[in-house]
Amino acid sequence: MTAAPEMQEIVDPVPGAGEPHLPAQPDLVQLLTPEGERVEHPDYALDVTDEELCSLYRDMALVRRWDVEATALQRQGELGIWASLLGQEAAQVGAGRAMGTGDMAFPTYREHGVAWTRDVDPLHVISLFRGNDLGGWDPVARRFNLYTVVIGAQCLHATGYAMGIQRDDAEAAALAFLGDGATSQGEVNESFIWAATFSAPVVFFCQNNQYAISVPIERQSRVPLFQRAAGFGFPGVRVDGNDVLAVLAVTRAALARAREGSGPTFIEAFTYRMGAHTTSDDPTRYRLAGELEEWKLRDPIARLKAHLSRSGKAGPDFFAAVDAEGDELAVRIRKGTLEMPDPAGTEMFDHVYAEQTEEIAAQRAEFLSYHEGFEQ
Amino acid sequence: MTTLTLGKALNTGLRKAMEDDPKVVLMGEDIGKLGGVFRITDGLQKDFGEARVVDTPLAEAGIIGTAVGLAMRGYRPVCEIQFDGFVFPAYNQIVTQVAKIHARSRGRLPMPITIRIPFGGGIGAVEHHSESPEAYFAHTTGLKVVAVSNPADAYWMLQQAIACPDPVVFFEPKRRYWDKADVDLDVAPPPLFTSRVVRAGDDLTLLAYGPMVKTALQAAQAAEEEGRSIEVIDLRTLSPLDLGPVEESVRRTGRCVVVHEAQTNLGLGAEIATRVTESCFHSLEAPVLRVGGYDVTYPPSKLEEEYLPDLDRVLDVVDRAMEF
Amino acid sequence: MADLRQFKLPDVGEGLTEGEILQWLVAVGDVVTTNQPLCEVETAKAAVELPSPYAGTVVELLHEPGTTVDVGAPIITIDIGGPAADDAPADDTPAAGLIGGPAPGGRTSVLVGYGPKNTEAVRRPRRSGAAAAERATAPQVLPEADYGSGSDRPPLLATAPDVRSKPVRPGGVEMGRAAEQHATDSEAASGQAVAPGRRAPRPLAKPPVRKYAKDCGVDLTTVTGTGDGGVITRADVDAARSGAAPSGARTPAELAAEAGTVVRFPVVDAGTEGREQRIPVKGVRKHTAAAMVASAFTAPHVTEFLTVDVTRTMQLRTRLAARPELAGLRISPLLFVAKALLLAAHRHPMVNSSWDEAAQEIVVKDYVNLGIAAATPRGLIVPNVKDAGRLSLAELAGALADLTATAREGRTSPTAMSGGTITITNVGVFGVDTGTPILNPGESAILAFGAVREMPWVHKGKIRIRQVTQLALSFDHRVVDGELGSRFLADIGAVLHDPGTALAF
Repeated sequence: MTAAPEMQEIVDPVPGAGEPHLPAQPDLVQLLTPEGERVEHPDYALDVTDEELCSLYRDMALVRRWDVEATALQRQGELGIWASLLGQEAAQVGAGRAMGTGDMAFPTYREHGVAWTRDVDPLHVISLFRGNDLGGWDPVARRFNLYTVVIGAQCLHATGYAMGIQRDDAEAAALAFLGDGATSQGEVNESFIWAATFSAPVVFFCQNNQYAISVPIERQSRVPLFQRAAGFGFPGVRVDGNDVLAVLAVTRAALARAREGSGPTFIEAFTYRMGAHTTSDDPTRYRLAGELEEWKLRDPIARLKAHLSRSGKAGPDFFAAVDAEGDELAVRIRKGTLEMPDPAGTEMFDHVYAEQTEEIAAQRAEFLSYHEGFEQ
Repeated sequence: MTTLTLGKALNTGLRKAMEDDPKVVLMGEDIGKLGGVFRITDGLQKDFGEARVVDTPLAEAGIIGTAVGLAMRGYRPVCEIQFDGFVFPAYNQIVTQVAKIHARSRGRLPMPITIRIPFGGGIGAVEHHSESPEAYFAHTTGLKVVAVSNPADAYWMLQQAIACPDPVVFFEPKRRYWDKADVDLDVAPPPLFTSRVVRAGDDLTLLAYGPMVKTALQAAQAAEEEGRSIEVIDLRTLSPLDLGPVEESVRRTGRCVVVHEAQTNLGLGAEIATRVTESCFHSLEAPVLRVGGYDVTYPPSKLEEEYLPDLDRVLDVVDRAMEF
Repeated sequence: MADLRQFKLPDVGEGLTEGEILQWLVAVGDVVTTNQPLCEVETAKAAVELPSPYAGTVVELLHEPGTTVDVGAPIITIDIGGPAADDAPADDTPAAGLIGGPAPGGRTSVLVGYGPKNTEAVRRPRRSGAAAAERATAPQVLPEADYGSGSDRPPLLATAPDVRSKPVRPGGVEMGRAAEQHATDSEAASGQAVAPGRRAPRPLAKPPVRKYAKDCGVDLTTVTGTGDGGVITRADVDAARSGAAPSGARTPAELAAEAGTVVRFPVVDAGTEGREQRIPVKGVRKHTAAAMVASAFTAPHVTEFLTVDVTRTMQLRTRLAARPELAGLRISPLLFVAKALLLAAHRHPMVNSSWDEAAQEIVVKDYVNLGIAAATPRGLIVPNVKDAGRLSLAELAGALADLTATAREGRTSPTAMSGGTITITNVGVFGVDTGTPILNPGESAILAFGAVREMPWVHKGKIRIRQVTQLALSFDHRVVDGELGSRFLADIGAVLHDPGTALAF
């Protein structure tokens, strides 16, 4: 079987093989280089004001601060685990800020950056990782679904939601988040089939952070992920996932396509999971330190900071103010976490069904009288 | 009053549900143009359009997963799984998502999804088309499970299941699809999650659901000719179970037998036997006995009649109960 | 193996060149985690906490509080190589916080949560006495918990509202609810529901007791249970077998009531207090009461009386007892009354019938299942001799003897007590002359047979001492009119007065 010659130029070397990443790729959409230079792309223009650039910086900086604080809280035993998004701030903030108020997001379990853009209180995400609930926010009001822990299951939900949008004749779209590993799940591939067949207004935003726990991307796919979409019959685009401007531009365009009835798009945000899969994972077992160091040079926040400073769009006062705001946020998160009340035992009986059964009501009563039988 | 086959009663009930509520959307393989492999959805796409009667890709997980999304968007999906043996690709979405989302969201995201599954054997089919997987669903918290046995229940219970705000797995006895009975389209039905005495008796209580209700009634008729009076109860709802009428009956008869096509080991009969024993302990003349399929893989069609419980197998166990 | 790192004083902002260490927040030997505050440093503007960049054990604090340190100078040494948690683990144990390593709270780290506890389980102490359960409140959809949102500065890239995007309606739920409400409001009526069977609930007993009773031949419907809720215990079955009142927590009044004798009140000081006994209505008494009520208030009862000189029968009794056919059998006056009744019933079959209200028919039976009312420790029962009309005198004598013995032992089966067609009640054994007996439900006639007394009687024109008894026949006037009843009673009397009459019947 022969591969098309063009494809040879685009395929990335194996992560961790010691080769430099991201050779020049004509298909990789980038508007802000790792060094902080603004560049143009023929297909994706972006009109942003200075204020909007500062706002994006602030979003990413605060999200990182939240992430760092949560990681620390887990180390201190205040959270069961934390799934860190370190390094993926641009992919998530860029995608989240591209959404319209009528659009609906379907995250995995790591999209705290997207949650931030949908006005989800960080403590409502923390409560999940603390074990108080399975997500404390209102998915309908926030237009941000609860986290889905079964890998890829949310892609079908997003597609079905999009089919509902079609039936409502609304100008809205669903934004399904998934990781690189998820593209191997059968149900995810089914969602591509359905989205294509019905031209559903859904955008699949894949953060290729190079690893599914310890398994590298080349074990999930023989071709770059964005090329898979062509096999299903819709466009795929690879964007520099650490470039918030490129992510914003590409996602906006894809959502607009969907809303106007042109069907799905697959966006591969090429990024890197700087932290561990979850807090007790040990990445040193499966990747080399050199790789991490390389990706530090492509940090999403540093490049925007460099651009803002160098271009004079923001000065030290601004960055200090953001840092201060970050500290306040960290304090609020820490305090809120430590003071979070434990759930009442009866909660597990209360929401199994919309119409509770007699059996569950009886068990709930039994539960209460059982506990009243103990001293203290 | 009109005479309908069970299949036609389902079709009529679906039509009524779709007329009553514009948010009802049917999804399944071959349900549109073909009208379904059992013609249960016959004529509906023509009248309600392709947006409301969807011929889906061949992907059961997709059928249920997209239904979750549609439900989140305010629709009432009615999914058809073409045959019992093919529900398993969708089992992940059913158990990890459909069953859990209401609890996960603490009531903010209800899942008013109906999943219709033709089940059971007796149609001489090839592999995977004659299964009885109801226990896998009855055991899953967050789902509700019912099984119809006759045309009147088919007409009414399907509409009630569609109207229910909770997800309902709706089992249809495919071998009974062509059985006829009178259906009163106007009289209000009993609540969905209730069981019902369908034949009065004094000597023993016989419990059945789905395709075995007819078998149980035939067995009771034969028993009467032998001088034995059997009370038959159609369970109708498998989760939650409605055992009130069963307990009342067993307190009178003192004996209970449960019959289902599903393999006996860890089938619904086991749960029912435990509950009846606990609640009617002092009234029991005999242990609660079960008649079920043998604990073997469902056999090829030539052996099907040997596998399935029939009138003789039921009466054998009835005799055993009476001998205690 | 120790892996020492030094934390250098960072530039905490605005081009700081030095800072004063105000106080240490950790001590040598402390285990610290990443981001844990190590010390307070004063800058130009404020006191700032410095978070630890390392997790490990504090080895050395390099400056005293109050010292001013240059930015970039080391201030603390932390060993990140050693164990960060409680005990020194074996070489193989992963570091704290990694999978398999120690985690806070005495747990072991896992990928997906807090990890399993390593603590021992103990039984928690219970309160004495039962506690009432709270009434369950209806679950509700919760509003989002309010943790105080803090900074509300909106992002500048807030997206404009999509004016054309329609709001998501719950849609259809109201209609669906209406359909369900319609269903739940009305009676069940699918055309296939039937009224359940009408048999009365079974006597309550545990399976081993049930088997025990069956093996002993004790009919549980005749046994009163002393267990909770009326459950029959093994002791109850034993008591039924022996015919004695069972031991247990029952008052003398209960025992007496079961035996049908006078209730004794315990002696008390004054007033009526404690002078009433409450006896639960259950078991045989309950059944009997129900039967009496059903019979008495359904069939119009008429009772006719006949006093009979039965001297000749009593003489015959002595002669027959000597006959070989009747050797060893108990030849009681009841036997002759029974035989007389059977002969008379043969002449007047209508008295051996029942009124079928539902079918609006009188069922005249060709067989006589002769019931004999029997007093047992449990109460009144009426076992019957099946097809008594076809039995010889000897057979009838045997059957009556069996019936009586079985009843006395409390072993009468339900079959023996069902299907009766006519009954005799022997009040004579109590020394009573006569009465107005109540029909056994389902029958049309009942004969009360009183004590046989020596009384002055006109015999062959002269006053003589003769053996005299009274017969009282109650009958259902719907089925048996006065003439028929009278003739029937007269025939019985005729046979008892002159046994030779039997040859003519």
